[in-house]
Amino acid sequence: MRFQGYPRENGTVGVRNHLLVLSSVACANGVVEAIGRELPGVVPVTHGYGCGYGPEDFRVSHRVLTGLVNHPNVGAALIIGLGCEVMKAEFLAAGVEGKPVEALVVQESGGSQATTEKGLAIARKLSEQLEKVERVPVPVSELVVGLQCGGSDALSGVTANPAVGAAADRFVDAGATVILAEITEMIGTAHILKRRGATPEIGAEIEQLVNDHHAYVRAQLGDLAGMVIAPGNVDGGLSSITEKSLGAITKGGTTPLQEVIEYGERPLKRGLVIMNTPGYDIDSMAGIAAGGAQIMLFTTGRGSVAGFPAVPVVKISSNSRTFQNMPGDMDVNAGAVVDEGKTIDEVGQEIFDLALEVAAGERTCAERNRSAPFNYLKQGPSF
Amino acid sequence: MSAAAQSNALILHEDDNVAVVVHPVRTGEAVVVKAEKLLTAAEDIDVGHKIALRPIASGGTVYRYGEPIVEATQAIEAGAWVHVHNTRPIPGDLQA
Repeated sequence: MRFQGYPRENGTVGVRNHLLVLSSVACANGVVEAIGRELPGVVPVTHGYGCGYGPEDFRVSHRVLTGLVNHPNVGAALIIGLGCEVMKAEFLAAGVEGKPVEALVVQESGGSQATTEKGLAIARKLSEQLEKVERVPVPVSELVVGLQCGGSDALSGVTANPAVGAAADRFVDAGATVILAEITEMIGTAHILKRRGATPEIGAEIEQLVNDHHAYVRAQLGDLAGMVIAPGNVDGGLSSITEKSLGAITKGGTTPLQEVIEYGERPLKRGLVIMNTPGYDIDSMAGIAAGGAQIMLFTTGRGSVAGFPAVPVVKISSNSRTFQNMPGDMDVNAGAVVDEGKTIDEVGQEIFDLALEVAAGERTCAERNRSAPFNYLKQGPSF
Repeated sequence: MSAAAQSNALILHEDDNVAVVVHPVRTGEAVVVKAEKLLTAAEDIDVGHKIALRPIASGGTVYRYGEPIVEATQAIEAGAWVHVHNTRPIPGDLQA
């Protein structure tokens, strides 16, 4: 099975051929934003960090930011730094393989306005190069598909999540990789996920990860930890944390879990893998994207409109009301299971088919809306 | 499709002993899954909530997604609403 994509030197395939303009530190965001305003075709990425953090956050920041620049959907990159920060632009550029990358430093390039002018010239040159690249047939097995939910409702675990599970099984059958994430949403299912490991060792690793995360949530939130099953969840019909979390992990489908990977790490195995990300969808998507996911399937009930920079996010509504109330935000209506007599498997096929069209260039609602918030998970304090 | 054949509940896994209501069900109303009338609702049940497909003994396990989710704290008849009032988390699982 193949689709029209962009093969990369390192063997991965892109579903987009974007020019990424990234700030290495928040202080350079103004220049990145100015370039983005002038050239709407580039993907500007700004964030609030880059300076004054400890060794663990340096590692996470480096992994996530280089993961974005090395992302298969990124054909070329321009990195803007300030000059005195910890996460230097040249340092990020040095971690990039097999694609054009350039770095500019505001303090050495004549200030904000001069750096913006130089950046625009570089961006125009790189964009011209990227426009010449044509899509060619590439195997579906090279796809890494990220799974995410946000703004869930009582039907999320009934329609949208099981339908995404049916799509996930199809991707795994096609030889692709699927990333199930959001460990917060797995609390209460450690004993069930343990049985789904491809080997007893992988099962034990997953059990440990979920139990450790539960302990972490307890330590951080104290009495509020009970909020992982909120009163609204109970009103919506969920009787236990286990039932709630099963509704989230059903996005992963039914195939064995092949690997457990760290936040922002690239999967080494194919098939269904678990990434250690938090429930907060923006932070979670950053980890999934840095792990190389070229496309994401995102379920929502209340109506999350968040996409992600350089990665098409397919929005799947759990109910017809949200789908109709927010035209232009939702790509698939899994509420059709309730209102139009479709089966979960039929909607799963619909999601799979649409995802392949998106991989071949069809734009998602979030892409058309230019909805691409970015933030990543920083563990420690700022200094 | 006639109104009577309109499905108002879903069974998420073949091993499940509950269905999930997707259109509000009133007492005495038919519970219809995949256009097939399966049983009659013993009480009013809201969207997202569970209905017992067969009798569940006190202490019996409730299955959804083919997995154990809670255990019954009292005998539950077929057609009854299944929720926190007649179930509890399975001992050893996390408490809410």
